[in-house]
Amino acid sequence: MNPTFGSILIKVLAGAIQSGTILLLPTLGEVLTERSGVLNLGLEGLMLIGAFFGFLGAMKTGNPYIGLLIGMAAAAGAAAIHAFISVTLRGNQTVTGLALAIFGMGLTSFYGDRWVSQRLTVAIKPMAIPGLSRIPVLGPILFSQDLIVYMGYVLVAVFWFLLFKTKIGVNLRAVGENAKAADAMGINVVGTRYFWTILGGALAGAGGAYITCGIHPYWLNGITSGRGWIAVALVVFAMWNPVNAFLGSFLFGSIEALQLQLQAGGTYINSALLSMLPYLTTFVVIIVATLIVRVRHVGTPKELGVPYAREDR
Amino acid sequence: MLRFEKRDKTPVQLRLMVPVASVLLGMLVGSIVMLFAHVNPLRVYGAIVSGAFGSAYRFSETLVIAVPLILISVGLTLAYRMKFLNIGAKGQYIIGAIFGSYLALFGPATMSRPLLLTLMMVLGTLGGALWAVIPALLKVYWNVNEVIATLLLNYIASYILWYFMYGTWRDPGSHGFPLSKNFALNAQLPRILPPPSRLHIGLYFALVAAVIVWIIIRKTRFGYEARVIGENERAARYAGINVVKTVIIAAAISGGLAGLAGIAHTSAVLRILQLEINSDYGYTAIIAAWLAGLDPLVAVVVSVLLAALEAGGYQIQIVMRVPFGIVGVIESSILFCLLAGEIFTHYRITLARRIAA
Repeated sequence: MNPTFGSILIKVLAGAIQSGTILLLPTLGEVLTERSGVLNLGLEGLMLIGAFFGFLGAMKTGNPYIGLLIGMAAAAGAAAIHAFISVTLRGNQTVTGLALAIFGMGLTSFYGDRWVSQRLTVAIKPMAIPGLSRIPVLGPILFSQDLIVYMGYVLVAVFWFLLFKTKIGVNLRAVGENAKAADAMGINVVGTRYFWTILGGALAGAGGAYITCGIHPYWLNGITSGRGWIAVALVVFAMWNPVNAFLGSFLFGSIEALQLQLQAGGTYINSALLSMLPYLTTFVVIIVATLIVRVRHVGTPKELGVPYAREDR
Repeated sequence: MLRFEKRDKTPVQLRLMVPVASVLLGMLVGSIVMLFAHVNPLRVYGAIVSGAFGSAYRFSETLVIAVPLILISVGLTLAYRMKFLNIGAKGQYIIGAIFGSYLALFGPATMSRPLLLTLMMVLGTLGGALWAVIPALLKVYWNVNEVIATLLLNYIASYILWYFMYGTWRDPGSHGFPLSKNFALNAQLPRILPPPSRLHIGLYFALVAAVIVWIIIRKTRFGYEARVIGENERAARYAGINVVKTVIIAAAISGGLAGLAGIAHTSAVLRILQLEINSDYGYTAIIAAWLAGLDPLVAVVVSVLLAALEAGGYQIQIVMRVPFGIVGVIESSILFCLLAGEIFTHYRITLARRIAA
């Protein structure tokens, strides 16, 4: 194999892991939120809130990790609005999610206006894992990354285990499949839905903050550029399974990394068509995933988006 | 402990009070956000009102924004009534503008103005309808989630416009900027007031569309079937209603009106095709439709109010350097309050004592 081609491929794939992590965190969060029966379409807004407040936190404290936590907290707070309206007040979750997206875009472009193009002096840096990072090919792709990427790997395993191998996971799924039965079993439906909606918000915020505190350490209005919507679609692709969310995110990360590499390499492929590629692929993938879900009857939580009202019994 | 009782009927005053209270609360949230940025909300709201209604010219500019908002939101009321949650008006607007502009830029130069404009509007409407029928077909036949599909189609449409504007549709004389050549006079939709007003005959299209959709919903068999589908799709099927056909027609009407909005605004107001054609009206119109309680005539009034907010928002950005993002904050907060308030219209809430076990 041509050595330069090999090194480019490794670079593209390492970039795919980074771009993939931006998508993985919100997708994982939404998998859990939807498993509990709450549909949160506002990920784009939550990611922007995480990205902006993460950036601001990192700017003020000088520590990108603290920034990331601040971004997560801000997004969790915004997700609590969604939980309140859709769980307690039984509002229309689709429209609330959309309002959340518009809210996040408006809020961050309002406060972010004076920070546009300012850069962080200290950003999240890669930390190669001793030993593992020296494995040929896989080492530089998977284990020469930063702490957030590793956190993503760990979360996939933790959430998969939690969801399918523990009592917590059984209860969580019960709430999303049949809230009435779960309630009769003594599971706290409202509490469960609140918890996983807010946690999902925090993870969406982490995805956004990872952009501004790590990969692109500066602020621009709308810096998430539609990734929140792609994450919503990836949840269907993942069929509500954390491991599939991992695969889907990195598949999309690869498309993005490839697109950047092609653009940087000055290919003859039109840049508008290249930029369209992630959305077009998502569109096709969502159709295919829906057809698979239909044939195999797996995945979709039965009461996704259905509010629970005890009195309606 | 709070008790929720389902209401059989919602009192009229509640149906009015909830939207009005939502608007006020939304403005309050906007004020709090402004105070954190050390911006005086009273001055901003004052500037928005005078920016939107301060003179005959300003009001006509508000109406310029209201025209696409009315066209789109009126169509959405029909689609939303049968639970086809079309979030893709932005994309349908863009495709409408592209379809119609094709004739303006490359059509036969000798065609008479009324014929050319009619064809442009028809083509724009068809383009928007096409862009809405794709996700509608995917939904009715394969159960593909229309919210996600229409959203992704917004991005795809944006990049299609980008493709043309950086490609073959760019005017060679534009010094590399992504602008088409100016529309010839024959391809400009007539304006109805003396300059500098840009208000155009699209206003009449919008009002006629609102009345027609109102009639469709209230007075036709189609509108009745649409309502039944929205309330209970299974019951609609048992009643022998052709759900597939009805949903697709509603999607086509809603997308077509968004497409018409796109080409009318481009042809009458911008008179050029460019990357920024105000397609975000597609999102604002969703708020308008919801705020109007999915009533097409109420949507006209709500659209004018939201247009005022937008027109005023442009003004505060120019005059006071307050970022336009605040408009999004206010609009979304209004929507939050409205959704939260629906519990009062759907349920009677009373304070009840827990029964001792």
